[in-house]
Amino acid sequence: MGKPKAIVERELCLACGGCISVCPQDAITMIARKASVNKENCIGCEICIKTCPVAAICWEGN
Amino acid sequence: MEYDAVVVGSGPAGSVTARFAAESGAKVLIIERRQEVGVPVLCGEGISKQVDDFKVLKGRRWIANNMDGARIFSPDGTMVKLAAEMAGNETGYVLYRDIFDQELARGAIRAGAELMLNTCAVNLLKENDKIKGVKARHFDEEIDIKADVVVGADGVESKVGRWAGMKTTLKPSDLEICAQYTLTNVDVEREYCDFYLGKKIAPGGYVWIFPKGNDVANVGIGILASLSKPGLATSLLDKFISSHPELKKGEPVRFLAGAVSVSEPYESVRDNLLLVGDAARQVDPITGGGLMASIEAGKIAGETIGRAVEMEKFDKEMLSAYEKAVEAAFYKKLKRNYMVKEIMLGFEDKTLNMLADSLKDVKFDEISTFGLVKALVSKHPSLLMKLRPLIKAARV
Repeated sequence: MGKPKAIVERELCLACGGCISVCPQDAITMIARKASVNKENCIGCEICIKTCPVAAICWEGN
Repeated sequence: MEYDAVVVGSGPAGSVTARFAAESGAKVLIIERRQEVGVPVLCGEGISKQVDDFKVLKGRRWIANNMDGARIFSPDGTMVKLAAEMAGNETGYVLYRDIFDQELARGAIRAGAELMLNTCAVNLLKENDKIKGVKARHFDEEIDIKADVVVGADGVESKVGRWAGMKTTLKPSDLEICAQYTLTNVDVEREYCDFYLGKKIAPGGYVWIFPKGNDVANVGIGILASLSKPGLATSLLDKFISSHPELKKGEPVRFLAGAVSVSEPYESVRDNLLLVGDAARQVDPITGGGLMASIEAGKIAGETIGRAVEMEKFDKEMLSAYEKAVEAAFYKKLKRNYMVKEIMLGFEDKTLNMLADSLKDVKFDEISTFGLVKALVSKHPSLLMKLRPLIKAARV
């Protein structure tokens, strides 16, 4: 089993861009006005999950 | 599609850059991924009255309220009042930020710039490693926009700089994350913007109350990302509102999230490319305010682009005139305030309480720096040690 990955709950995301600015892997992009994690590049560092002001990012599968 | 300059983002930095570039004769296109300029608002909506000096806004529709000063509340509730007479730059406006952004965009369009909504930059357009414009998506259509200069005015999450190889990723300790409500039915009819400090209130940041006139206020929080947990900004803001009698009855008509860098400014120029505004980290690291810097930098960027078009020269050397001019204009202040921010992050609530207690009766309009330090230290001598690095930073 690989490392867990971050995933954005699209209905909660308010598109503030905070997660994108701190992602060390440049793995997050705004797609159709919502943040979206590119799983290929995500290293599961959790920075975006902690950063989100509205708790819209969580571990995939949770 | 071919332009002299393509500006990615129609926020204040992008629109002002486009305006001054177009005024100096450049053919300019602004692309905006959203369907409406300025919406959603990502901001506390406060600005210094110095904005009037730049003459980039017509009419007064963008002003919600006039502010005479600020009140800062330490963790134990001690209030320090910074009144208008103390310094001109403490007076300000509370904005309707959506209208504000649209007025700035209108200024750019009047100057001759074009604006394309629903158009998201997806990469730089390159030929043999040379930047030739941007690739963008307009609904389902991929388009190539050719331009001699690409302006990254794409905000805190800027991708334009990263595509050009700049390392613009922020440390979590250099990012404030924000949540804010527009509350109605609150009791805040006053001419002061309020700021609340404290580790339990807003770790590494503050809560603000900006009255928008009548019974409406923009009430928000910024906390440092490195001290954040999922959703903490929102839960702390809710806690603050429910514990403040003047806000408790309020109902939100708008809820928004935001993020703003509190870092040192980054490099902002490459061959055929420059960054401006939040994308270039042109934000005051103490207040998180970036509107004035965006407007000032945008004017310089636009004028530089105008000269570049005239000389048909778009390399880093040419565009560096922009970076040098913004450095001279306000980077010294940003760098100093970054040091102050780093020092203040180390302050315990107790220190902030002592500071506020020393300052609460000071008449700021008639006091010198020396007098200020004396007032601080004579009441709480232990502050001297804590403040020494700050005083040093202020001298830089």
